[in-house]
Amino acid sequence: MGKPNVVVSAKKNTGNSNPNRIVGFLQKWGLPAVLLGPFLILITIFFIAPVVLIVILAFTNMDSSMVWDLNGLLNFKKMASDPNLSEIMLNTVFYVTLTLSLNIFLGLSLALLTTYFIKQESVGLIIRTIWMLPRISPPVVYILLWLWFFDPSEYGVLNSLRMIFDMPPANFLADQPMTAIVLANGLIGASYGMIIFSAAIKSIPGDLFMAARVDGAAERSIIFDIIIPAVKWPLMFVTLWQLLSLLTSYEYILLLTKGGPLFETEVLALYSYHKAFQSFEYGYGSAVALVLVVIALICTFIFWRIFGMDKMIKSSRIE
Amino acid sequence: MRKSLTAVLTSAIVLSSVLAGCSNSENKPAGAANAGGGADGKELQVITLSAQTTGIEKTRVDNLVKAAVVLNEELKTQGKNMEVKLETKSFDGSWDDSLKQFMLASKSNKAPDIFAIGHESIGMLAKGKYILPLDSLKESKEYADLFPILWDSVTFQGQIWGIPQDTEARPVFYNKGILKKLGWTDQQINELPEKVKQGEFTLDDMTKVAEEAKAKGAAEFGIVHRPTNGPDFQALAYNFGAELYDAAQNKIIFDKKAVEKQLQYYYDIAQKKLIPDNLTTMEFKNVHKIVVNEKALFYYGGIWNVNNWAADAYHDQIGKVDAKWVNERMGMMLIPAAEKGGKPVTLSHPIVYTVSSGTKHQDLVNRLLELVVDPKLQTEHNLKTFHLPITKAAADDPNFKADVTLGGVAYMSEYTTFLPNHESFNKYSGSVFKAIQAVELGKQTPAEALKDLETQLKNDLGDELIIKN
Repeated sequence: MGKPNVVVSAKKNTGNSNPNRIVGFLQKWGLPAVLLGPFLILITIFFIAPVVLIVILAFTNMDSSMVWDLNGLLNFKKMASDPNLSEIMLNTVFYVTLTLSLNIFLGLSLALLTTYFIKQESVGLIIRTIWMLPRISPPVVYILLWLWFFDPSEYGVLNSLRMIFDMPPANFLADQPMTAIVLANGLIGASYGMIIFSAAIKSIPGDLFMAARVDGAAERSIIFDIIIPAVKWPLMFVTLWQLLSLLTSYEYILLLTKGGPLFETEVLALYSYHKAFQSFEYGYGSAVALVLVVIALICTFIFWRIFGMDKMIKSSRIE
Repeated sequence: MRKSLTAVLTSAIVLSSVLAGCSNSENKPAGAANAGGGADGKELQVITLSAQTTGIEKTRVDNLVKAAVVLNEELKTQGKNMEVKLETKSFDGSWDDSLKQFMLASKSNKAPDIFAIGHESIGMLAKGKYILPLDSLKESKEYADLFPILWDSVTFQGQIWGIPQDTEARPVFYNKGILKKLGWTDQQINELPEKVKQGEFTLDDMTKVAEEAKAKGAAEFGIVHRPTNGPDFQALAYNFGAELYDAAQNKIIFDKKAVEKQLQYYYDIAQKKLIPDNLTTMEFKNVHKIVVNEKALFYYGGIWNVNNWAADAYHDQIGKVDAKWVNERMGMMLIPAAEKGGKPVTLSHPIVYTVSSGTKHQDLVNRLLELVVDPKLQTEHNLKTFHLPITKAAADDPNFKADVTLGGVAYMSEYTTFLPNHESFNKYSGSVFKAIQAVELGKQTPAEALKDLETQLKNDLGDELIIKN
């Protein structure tokens, strides 16, 4: 009985409302709605909804039947007794730390090389473009080249080269799988830092370098006392950005070693993928992904508060 | 004001057209299309059905198209004003990815009506209600002479969920040239399959000959097997007496004694350096290259590999090799028995047709599945792709019998085993493969690998697992 009353009263209200109020509302909110609306919808569909879904799925035992059956904390209990999880966590730490170091070191070295040491702009540009090539080629093609290079049979590039020197075929991907994935990811990831650092170095006023030279500063001193402090914030930003993307990316590992041999290159993000899309344990896979989300949030918090990332947003210190 | 109103309206139109574009334009009721005029003046109803398989063996769906021609003639004779049109697709990826795609497509009502997949997936598909039971087809006269054992491969919890499309043998290929180098006579070489059949030549003998070949430098590798997870590894478990499935309780059995022997076997052949050091990390194409370039004495393969070697250039000099070339250089035998006088084994992995639960024309699909079993169609597929027939009529086909490769392995069906149809068997086989990988790479001893495997299986399968000590 209540429902029709509500409808009636709603109708009454609408009927009584002043059309000017609607016009006023539209005038105030129309344009912001048009400008922000599509983005809000996209953010909701692609950013917020997946996180909400992962959180809900993590508490279900959804398998290949794709039925939403809540099972409380069972997935997390299962994770606690999963014999592989400690090794996978350790792999994740190794993989992220080593790749990140290689990324940042290479990115900074390349930026220094192409903007500071090589004075000719066109040469620096060519080097940077070459380094960007793998970034613009599809991951599958990039990894196929590595697979071909490391192939354990005598048909692989590395082993063909070894055969010239009468060395037996090596199985690098089986013996040193972590090195292989760090190399493959580190080399391609360096281009991102390279671009950001190059821009930052270029924005340092030339007077500083001139003054340093007049004062007789060594190259080492110029790099460590002028350039590095000037790119401190981009360095911090690239580190955090790369850290988060390394934590959650797994496509190069999947294509190169599939997480193997055994679990030697299985990282948390890949384990989540394997559980969800290979064993069809969508619930368990989501629980692993949820742990990953929490780890990523903790890392962001640490960078934001402890390393003072929030200060980065303030205006540039070089004017 | 007018500007903002126009902007609001424009964005609404754009958004709705984007959303409309996202909707499934193919999601019309199947068979909605009408084309041409029927004989009686009414419009002919064209019913579009779809079928999907995986890989290079396209005859699996092409045969359905041929069956549809017969079906259309039948419909015409019956005076029904309809015509079946079959759309086919061969998924270009792994069987696992194909299965995943089918399940996700089912959820968005885009699944093909007929889906060809390995028989062991029916447990998973049936449990998830992705496919329909096909018990009525077991009674149909077209399937009366289907080899009875094949019905086991499509039975899950007492019901039939698929129709076998073909079957195969997974023999051990042996290289005749390498055996000759070891001093074997032609007669001894040709008698080897029979000796294996009788249980005179055992798995240990096979290992010993492989060791001899390696020691004398007659072969680079004594034995090779597939580099990725697959049904072959379970054939060895059966050989060591394993029971893998309790159908009555629908539970997977972890037969510890047999699995330990299985792991010990792979550990031994790796320790004796009979297999390539890195076999389980190799790409499949390189294993094919090793076999085709005659670098290995024994290869745990599949009869259809003859087709693979003809389709792609694996030989360093010749490139593609045909069946005649293979038969001259290689022989095929069952997997030798683990004990003297024991029964040798092989494993068959029938590809089966399943019917999507989303189909709107089950009667037509069922009739199509009855027609596709035609012995001529089967033989065409079998000869082209090197598979074995599923019915007696097709096994008696003179063209099939005349084929040297197939004729030589037809007897293996009597020694065959199947994978269990349990819905979680992929988890079991995945973990066992990891354990095999661990012992082959020398990272673990068989005892250590067995212990870890038990922990893993208990965690992954919980109460779906029976542990047999």
